[in-house]
Amino acid sequence: MSSRIRLFSLLTILLLLVVIGSVSAQDVTLNVVGFVVPLEEQGTPLDEAYKAFIAGFQESHPGVTVNALETPPEFDTQLLVDLAAGTAPDVWNQDASTLARLVDAGYVLDMNECVALVPEFNLDRFFPSTLAIHQREAGGPIYGVPNDFTPMVIYYNTLAFERAGVEPPQAGWTWEDFVEIAKQVTLDGNGNNAASPDFDPENVTQWGFRVRKWTFEWLYRVWQAGSDVISPDGTTASGYLDSPESIAAITFLRDLVTVEHVAPPPTTLDQMIQQLGFLDRFLMGDFAMFDRGHWEMVGLRANANFEEGRFSVVGQPQGAARATVMYASGFVIRADIPEDRKLAACQFVEAATNRAYQDTKVLTGIAISANQAAAADAIAQSADPAIEQAFYDEVEFGRAPYGAIYAQWPTIEGRLDTMMEAILAGGDVEAEVALAVEEINRELSR
Amino acid sequence: MAQMTAVRAESAPGLWRRFWSRSNERAGYLFILPSLIHILAFLFIPLVLSFFLSFRDWTRPTFSDAPYIGLENYEFLMGDRRFWQSMGNSAYYTALSVPLGMAFSLAIALVMNQKLRGVYLFRTLFFMPVVSSWVAVSIIWLTLLDPNVGIVNYVLGWFGIQPINWLGDPRSAMPAIVLISIWKSAGFNMVIWLAGLQAIPQELYEAAAIDGANRLQSFRFLTLPLLAPTSFFMAVTGVIGSFQVFTPVYVLTRGGPLDSTNTAVFHIYRRAFQEFDFGYASAQSWVLFGVIFIATLIQLFYVRRRREEIQF
Repeated sequence: MSSRIRLFSLLTILLLLVVIGSVSAQDVTLNVVGFVVPLEEQGTPLDEAYKAFIAGFQESHPGVTVNALETPPEFDTQLLVDLAAGTAPDVWNQDASTLARLVDAGYVLDMNECVALVPEFNLDRFFPSTLAIHQREAGGPIYGVPNDFTPMVIYYNTLAFERAGVEPPQAGWTWEDFVEIAKQVTLDGNGNNAASPDFDPENVTQWGFRVRKWTFEWLYRVWQAGSDVISPDGTTASGYLDSPESIAAITFLRDLVTVEHVAPPPTTLDQMIQQLGFLDRFLMGDFAMFDRGHWEMVGLRANANFEEGRFSVVGQPQGAARATVMYASGFVIRADIPEDRKLAACQFVEAATNRAYQDTKVLTGIAISANQAAAADAIAQSADPAIEQAFYDEVEFGRAPYGAIYAQWPTIEGRLDTMMEAILAGGDVEAEVALAVEEINRELSR
Repeated sequence: MAQMTAVRAESAPGLWRRFWSRSNERAGYLFILPSLIHILAFLFIPLVLSFFLSFRDWTRPTFSDAPYIGLENYEFLMGDRRFWQSMGNSAYYTALSVPLGMAFSLAIALVMNQKLRGVYLFRTLFFMPVVSSWVAVSIIWLTLLDPNVGIVNYVLGWFGIQPINWLGDPRSAMPAIVLISIWKSAGFNMVIWLAGLQAIPQELYEAAAIDGANRLQSFRFLTLPLLAPTSFFMAVTGVIGSFQVFTPVYVLTRGGPLDSTNTAVFHIYRRAFQEFDFGYASAQSWVLFGVIFIATLIQLFYVRRRREEIQF
C-alpha cells in the first residue's frame, strides 16, 4: 500500500512538473518602451489609450506579460548603451530620424520575419510612403513598421489674414504665391504691408512667416526646388547642396528675412520668443504663417490664446516640385530578440498597428496614424476635418526623413544648421554653402 | 636560491599582516576605499578606454564592432576646421576668464583680508556661488541676462546703454559666459588668495611702512611678488579648468550663436553623444588633453624662469 502511495505521489509530482514546465514555456514577458506617459500626462486620453491597449493585448494573449516602460530622457543614447549591454527593450517606438544608425549596426529585426510568423500581419494597412521609410529598397528587409507620422505643412493664422485683408492660401499654391501672400500679411506699425513702398521694415507688428536655421524645417524647400543636399547614395554633397537649384532655395529663404522682410532676423525672433512663447505670438497674430508638423496642433489647442477657427493649415507651396518631409515613428524589434519572445513581440507590433488600437490613439492628435483606415476615419472624427484633410492630402508628396536613410545624417544636419544660421545672419550664400559642402564631403569620406 | 624564494613568498602576506594590524591605517584606507573605487570606475577605466577608442572607428556601442583604424581619427582631426574653431573658442574663454577671474577674486580677497565688521558673513556670501549647482546658476543668469526683462540690461539702461542681447549675439555670448564663470568661481579663488595673503608676514609690511612705502607701493612691491606661488597655482588650475568649460555652454547657449560659444568639450560632447562618433570624439579628447598639457608645461617653464629672476 505504502509503495502504491509512493508511486502515485511520484507520478503526481512528475505530472505537475510537466504542466508547470509547459506553462512557463509559454509565459513570456515583453519589455516594451513607448506605451507609458510621463507622470504629468497621467489621466490624459493618450494614457487611457495606452493602458487599454496593454490590458487588451494581455487578455487576448494569455501567457504574454507586457512590461511597459516610459521612454527615458536621452533615449537614443540610453538605447545604444542598452543594446551593447544586452538589456535593450524587445520592442520600442523608434523615431525615424535616427533609425538609419540602428539599421546599419544590425540592431533591428527584419519585419518580414513577423509577417511570416503572424498571418494577420498585413502590410497593406500602412501608407506606402510611411512603410517606405523603413525599407531601403522595394522587396528588401523592412526595419520596423510605421506607427504614426506627420508631413511638414504650413500653419496660418486666420486672424492675421483677416487683419491684412488677404485670402488664406490654398493647396497647390506656388513659391511666387507664397512670397506675395507673405508680403501682403506682413504689416508695419502704420498698417502698411511689405508689398507697399511705404513699408517700414524696422517697425513690423505682424510678420508673414518664420524662418529658422534648423534643417528639419527647410530641407524640403531644397527638394521643392528640384534638388537635394547630398547624393542619393550618400557619398557627396558636391553637385547637390551647391547646385544652382539648391542655392536658389537657400537664397529664397534668406531673402524672406533680408530682402522681403517678411520673416524676422534670428536675433529679433529670439528676443520676441523670450518675451512671449512662439505659439502665444502665433495665436495672437504676431506671425501669420510657420512650418510645422501635426504635433503642434496639441500645443496650439492647449494654449490660453486658442479659439476655434483661429488657425488652419495648408500644404507646402510648389516650386519645381511639390515635396515635403514626413517625420515619423515606428515600432521596431531588436534583432537579437530571444526566439521564445519573437512571436509575442511580432503579435504585439501587429496589434499596435492594427485598426482597433490606432483608432483610439489618433484621437489624441499628436500625429497621424500610419494605418490608412484609422487615419481616414480620424478625419471624420476630428474637431476640424479640413485641417486633418490638409495633412492627409500632403502625404502623397511626403519623403522619408534622411535620418532614416543615412547613418551620418546627425553630423550632416548639424553642419547644415550652422550653414543656415550663418546665412540668416547675413553671410554670403555661395561662400557658406561652399564651406558646408567641403566639410560635409570630408565627413562623408570617412 | 630556494631559501630566497621562500622568503619572498612569505614577505607579501607578512607585509599585509603588518599593514592590517595597524588599525589606524586600516581605517584610513577603508575610508578612502569608496572614493578609490569611484575614481577607478568612473575616471581611470574610461580614461584608458578612451585612449584605445581613439584608434578605432567606434560608432556603435560594442567594442568588438569597432575596427582598428590606426591614426585615422587623428589625421581627420588635423583638418577638422570646426574642432579647431572650438579649440579657439576655448582659448578665447581661457584668455578672458583666467586673468579677469584672478584679478576680480584678488580684489575681493584684499577687501576680505581687512579687519572689517561682518567680514566672515561676506566671505560666506562670496563663497555661496561656488557650492551652488552650475545648472541652477546658469538658469538664474539666463533670467538676469534676458534682453527684454533681465536686470542686467535694466541697470545698464540707467547709464543710457541700449539693451544687449547677451546670449543671442555672437559678439557678447562668450563674454557673458565668462562673466558668469568669474562670478561663480570668485569665492573659491578668494579663499586661495586669502590663504596666500595671510601667509605673508606682517613684519614685512611694517618694515615697508618704516621705509616710507605707501599702501599702493606695499601692494606692488611686497604683496604681488609674495603671492607669486599662489598666482601660479591659480593660473595653472584656471587654465586647465577653463579649457574644460561645459555646463554653462550646455545650459545657456548650446554652442551658439554662430558657434561662437562652441567650446572644445561641448564640441566633443556633441560628437560623442549626439552624433554617436565615440572613436573620433575620444581622439578629440586626447588632443585637448595634449593642448592643456603643453599649456601647463609652458606655464611651469615660465614660472621657473621667473623664479630664477626674482629668486623667491
